[in-house]
Amino acid sequence: MKSRKPIPLLKLRKRKHSQPGQSKKDQNLNINQNEDTDQEQAVPIHLHRELKKNIEYIKQMVGNSSDIVIREFDLGQTGEIKIAIFYTDGLADKSFVNDFILESLMVNIRTANLGSDVLSKKNIYEIIKSHSLPAGEINELVDFNKVFYHILSGDTVVLMDGFLKGLSIGSRGWADRGVQEPSSQTVVRGPKDGFSETLRTNTALIRRRIKDPNLRIETKQIGKKTQTDVSIIYLKDVADEKLVQEVKARLKKINIDAILESGYIEELIQDETYSPFPTVYNTERPDSVAGGILEGRIAIVVDGTPFVLLVPALFVHFFQSSEDYYQRADIATLIRFLRYFAFFLALITPSAYIAVTTFHQEMIPTPLLISLSSQREGVPFPALVEALMMEVTFEILREAGVRMPRAIGSSISIVGALVIGQAAVEAGIISASMVIIVSLTAISSFVSPTFNMGISVRILRFIFMFLAATFGLFGIILGLIMMVLHLNSLRSFGIPYLAPNAPFILKDQKDNFLRLPHWSLHSRPALINQQETVKENTASPKPPQPDEANQ
Amino acid sequence: MKKKWKILMFYIVVLCLLTGCWSRKELNEIAIVTALGIDKSEDGYIISVQIINPGEIAGKTSTGRTEVVRFTANAGTVFEALRELTTDVPRKLYLAHLREVVIGEPLAKEGIGKVLDFLSRDHELRTDFYLTVAKGSPASEILNVQTALEKIPANKLFSALENSEKNWARTKTVKLDELIDSIVSNGKEPVITGIYVYGDHEAGGDFTNVQNVSPNIGLRINQLAVFKKDKLIGWLNEDASKGFNYITDNIKSTVVNVPCQNGKVSIETVRSKTSVEGKIENGKPKIHITINSEGNIGEVQCEIDLSNQESLHKLEEEYQNNIKDKVEEAILNVQEEYHSDIFGFGEVFHRSDPKAWKRYEQNWDEEFSNLEFTVQVEGKIRRLGTITESFQNETRE
Repeated sequence: MKSRKPIPLLKLRKRKHSQPGQSKKDQNLNINQNEDTDQEQAVPIHLHRELKKNIEYIKQMVGNSSDIVIREFDLGQTGEIKIAIFYTDGLADKSFVNDFILESLMVNIRTANLGSDVLSKKNIYEIIKSHSLPAGEINELVDFNKVFYHILSGDTVVLMDGFLKGLSIGSRGWADRGVQEPSSQTVVRGPKDGFSETLRTNTALIRRRIKDPNLRIETKQIGKKTQTDVSIIYLKDVADEKLVQEVKARLKKINIDAILESGYIEELIQDETYSPFPTVYNTERPDSVAGGILEGRIAIVVDGTPFVLLVPALFVHFFQSSEDYYQRADIATLIRFLRYFAFFLALITPSAYIAVTTFHQEMIPTPLLISLSSQREGVPFPALVEALMMEVTFEILREAGVRMPRAIGSSISIVGALVIGQAAVEAGIISASMVIIVSLTAISSFVSPTFNMGISVRILRFIFMFLAATFGLFGIILGLIMMVLHLNSLRSFGIPYLAPNAPFILKDQKDNFLRLPHWSLHSRPALINQQETVKENTASPKPPQPDEANQ
Repeated sequence: MKKKWKILMFYIVVLCLLTGCWSRKELNEIAIVTALGIDKSEDGYIISVQIINPGEIAGKTSTGRTEVVRFTANAGTVFEALRELTTDVPRKLYLAHLREVVIGEPLAKEGIGKVLDFLSRDHELRTDFYLTVAKGSPASEILNVQTALEKIPANKLFSALENSEKNWARTKTVKLDELIDSIVSNGKEPVITGIYVYGDHEAGGDFTNVQNVSPNIGLRINQLAVFKKDKLIGWLNEDASKGFNYITDNIKSTVVNVPCQNGKVSIETVRSKTSVEGKIENGKPKIHITINSEGNIGEVQCEIDLSNQESLHKLEEEYQNNIKDKVEEAILNVQEEYHSDIFGFGEVFHRSDPKAWKRYEQNWDEEFSNLEFTVQVEGKIRRLGTITESFQNETRE
């Protein structure tokens, strides 16, 4: 428990951020990744001077994996220069390897005009590096860890006999789903592109939206076995430096064998594990991420998943949709209120119904009470059991609907309508009003623009139902008080979870429950961002003044 | 530390479950009482309750059973009688949705103070029900009548009381707090509206009654019962009841008939405001009542030229006189017959001259009986309706 607490921001400043390996790669100007690899795990095994031994070692390490391609060939008049290239079939772009690497090395290099130089065993490395590879991304390798990383990431590695170093050529290109419409956060108005499983595609989608040299994309590998690329993306002049350091420090602490999805990272870096409320935001939408980065938040992109994380994530963020900023301000504000209302409906409708019908019948208007009580005639279970049965049935239906193969989806909806519906009422198992309550709860829980917050409501709803069944409305109020206290205690990367409501920040209320017109949103959120706070300075639109028009 | 927390959490969870939801009542475990009748018996009270049968009222299929059920019990106190009913009623009586309390006339004459104690003490009761006095029959018989149109008789009484107070102004709705206030106050005495059964009392519970287009048996509210402290001492007639409502500024809308040539004109009062002032003049208390009333022409049954200012002024004068007569009649009637200050004149004096009130307080009933008063009515006719001239004028010529 103690170790999961956030590191105070002040302490971070003293800690030095070591960056080993930086000096070795100074010459490699073409690298667009800042390979800030703090791989403490393995002792580097250096390349051998003899190519044969290197090939043997690689073969020994990968076993007889069929997808690792090793191509050996000779160069020079007498064939005294031995070269080998390595790539992974399926991950590397085969036509690129053939057309630009193999062809240049095997054919073009013989006919190339090298000026005064003569191709020899001594200078082959320099000639290849500076003349013969028509590729953009080239890295120099000295140890096997790097060699394996590049081969298994889809790059092509070139090793030459007689050198303690090799080259890797960026040739990644594998079958990709492409940029498709996101399936989880759809909008009516707004961009329809979504992240895909490839990190590079995802960073490109963000870069395309923020064409600012200050946008930093810093990548490192996490996961001893998976070596998953994880990028943090932020705006240098907007994001809080301390926050960036905090995120880096938390990522650095991760020591795990595999990262298969951003959910791993989320759980490993979040402030509070034992809370139903999410403190990390995830989205499939590049525009949401770009918006977050422009607010001074930090995006964490993980290779292999379309879900990108945004930190810090506050309570209010889960009620804001990117569409709020594309629609007119008035309807966006109303919809935000609707979302909060639906949140409370989803949270306490079943429990309020239980409390009122079993403890506080005097609160119900007489005609409604008569109608409710006539529906309950003949229902064999207490209200709590009735509600639990229906809620659990609904959860089962929902889970079945998510996991089930698409083809049999329609059968579930037919059966589902029977279980939660008129048939259940007619069978005398539950009352009709409970069906309405459960349906209302179900609809309301889908209003939340983020799936995360819907999950916390699902969990808490059951706790509230038990509280209501034991203590009535008193229990619900107790539960709400405890929930608010808990929310107050939460922090997301050092930022109070309920900001800007608690602590109350007047300036940020313009884009909180309300969404005022864009020309009035002058500043970025106060707590998250502390550097460049001015967002825009557009004057509010006005009709042309008559005297101006006359001139 | 962690272990302690776990143990504490365990105890908290267990404690929650051990309480066993002691005050939990499912909806199908309670009997919703909508009306309560209280009658006098030899050694205590006869309590009758009207319980609704929800399945019959809101259910989809009707089984032919009655919508409400009446149960009675006889015991020494109201509370005891209600508990005794459990021997007859299969569910726990739930009094929070009570709409109507009916008190038998003999009990009212003896004093209602004792039974009101239970009504205001019990935590389950809300105080938004209306109190009425059964006239000419025991309260249990009032509760034994099936009413047409409204399935729940208590609801019928509840809405009839509200509607007739608003539109007819000869009755008055009385809630528990107001009743107890006026019983306790020296300068004000309570009134309660009366209910009676028309038709055959005995057959009121018969279901065939409500299957008739024109039901033979039913409940009707009328007249106000005059109380002195908590004892009923008599009834006001209809005109005096209306006069009473004028004085207590309880008129929202009513109908006033005024004579004209050889017929009548009905005027609908749409707005009325009364102010009562009390003054000591020559060592004697004196009441001055000012009524501002506005009306529209509702019906014309005589030859009158409504476009003529003169005739309208005449009508207004008649209108004022009519109201003035009713008010004066009400006061004189109560002064002579009942000597009970139901109008709250005592409180008016109490407010305007607290020191003088101290002198009169002890002897107020006597003072009230000899109280001098003046009534001033300002009546205005505002609108003539959708036609001005009555077409009858043309047919007669």
